[in-house]
Amino acid sequence: MRQATPVAGRCGLGDHDRRLQGEIRRTQENRIVRMAGYIEGRNVSLTFRPPNRAPLRALGGFDIAVEEGEFLSIVGPSGCGKSTFLNVVLGLTKPDSGEVLMHGKPIGGPGSDRAMVFQEFGLLPWRTVQHNIELGLELKKVPAEKRRATAERLVVLVGLAGFEQHYPHELSGGMKQRVGLARALATDPDVLLMDEPFAALDAQTRDLMQAELLRIWREARKTVLFVTHQIDEAIYLSDRVVVMSKRPGRAKKVFAIDLPRPREYEMRVTPEFNDLKLEIWNTLKDEIVA
Amino acid sequence: MAEQAIVRPTFAARYRKILLGGFAVILFFAAWQAIFLFVPFNPLFISKPSLIAAGLVDLIGSGDLFHDLAVSAVPFFIGLAAAVIVGVPLGIVMGWRPRVGYALDPLMTVFYASPLVALAPLLVIFFGVGVSGKAVIVFVLAVFPFIFNAHAGVRAVDQLLINVVRSLGGGEWDLYRMVIFPSVLPYIVASSRIAVGRALIAVLVGEFFAASEGIGYAISRFGDIFALDRMFGCILVVMVIAVVLTEGIRWAERAAFPWRTRQ
Repeated sequence: MRQATPVAGRCGLGDHDRRLQGEIRRTQENRIVRMAGYIEGRNVSLTFRPPNRAPLRALGGFDIAVEEGEFLSIVGPSGCGKSTFLNVVLGLTKPDSGEVLMHGKPIGGPGSDRAMVFQEFGLLPWRTVQHNIELGLELKKVPAEKRRATAERLVVLVGLAGFEQHYPHELSGGMKQRVGLARALATDPDVLLMDEPFAALDAQTRDLMQAELLRIWREARKTVLFVTHQIDEAIYLSDRVVVMSKRPGRAKKVFAIDLPRPREYEMRVTPEFNDLKLEIWNTLKDEIVA
Repeated sequence: MAEQAIVRPTFAARYRKILLGGFAVILFFAAWQAIFLFVPFNPLFISKPSLIAAGLVDLIGSGDLFHDLAVSAVPFFIGLAAAVIVGVPLGIVMGWRPRVGYALDPLMTVFYASPLVALAPLLVIFFGVGVSGKAVIVFVLAVFPFIFNAHAGVRAVDQLLINVVRSLGGGEWDLYRMVIFPSVLPYIVASSRIAVGRALIAVLVGEFFAASEGIGYAISRFGDIFALDRMFGCILVVMVIAVVLTEGIRWAERAAFPWRTRQ
């Protein structure tokens, strides 16, 4: 089981160790020693109660620990609560029970230490590329010159130089998601939450965007929590992959991806890659209800 | 390039819409003029385009027409502005705050559906014969399209954009300012097309009941003294104003929202 392979202290902690570590950190917290960028979900459960319909248990005791600077992907069957968990981390949704900690503190709401890249981009149609990127800074009351400087830098980073004054409807899907990524990076969060960010893109654009994301991740050094349906995508990008069970979602198994970085496209056709893919698929397939 | 290979349409094909529409209008007036070659013409009951044109030239020359229009324009714009100022925020709050919406929706629907024009004499008594009475009538008729369209616009707001702004730390006021108002804006412009039509009617009705000047007063006075050429002339002017205003808004709608895909 790859889960058991320790990678530079990133994983391989048993359940007991992990809980112990939680204890240690809590005692440390009293002395204001915090582990930056560290996210931990403990026994997170959440049930949706739509009016006039049966309640829907989205998460049922989901456990997760994300290390600082780590690229962690969550794969799971449709409706297993992956996106719901991201919304909890983002602070838009509160769990019924369990807790999500960041820097050892419970997440109480949205904060500028986290930012989301949305599947459907979520760009404001009446704002140009530049002003979409500046949105988070504007909400933080950052002065205009500073906002513009940040936007200029990010436009270059995501490869959209020259499109600053374009409106979203003038951009392709891939370009829109570049804007979405730049907007999330603008407030310089510790953690990037990505909710199937490339699912709305065609296959080639998706491949390109994955490579771009790895480049940007290397440069920006963020902790990334990445939700996807695609096993390929999860392996190619991640340090670890969490496979979730069907609804109500729990963490079924964690895979460490020991493939060397920087990763090239060719890596996807190596036997190691395909072994991992098969292993993850075998874990996942029992959970998929067609 | 493919675009260059496209055959440029001929003049007739390009302006087909305008040409056909304009042709129908000209035909209408020509038929109106021509029918009195066969039907006996009685200027006490009907007029014809040639006389109307002459009457209009007269009204323009004497300056009466512009004076009346200027008098009517004041309550028209005051009432319309008040309708926007009250109707848009009210509609937005009704849409965004479900409880406010549930509470006010039936009441607003009742008012919108009722023949408010019938209240005009009462409103004139309450608010006076001058500008204020007419402005109130305009307001009462024009406010509802703004309320209902703003309400509908808010309900069409993309929840994803709300989440985006919230996730980046935006509060209630930021949601109004950055998402809800820009989403609703096209709906407001669309509703102003309807509201302008209703506001014009309101001004005329207000002046029919009690006035000593204004375009509505002119129409009713010319009717009373059987000066039908001038009466029709004034009606024609109001028609043209209505068309210019609504078409102007339609044009502004296309020009003012550069984020929308141009057709």
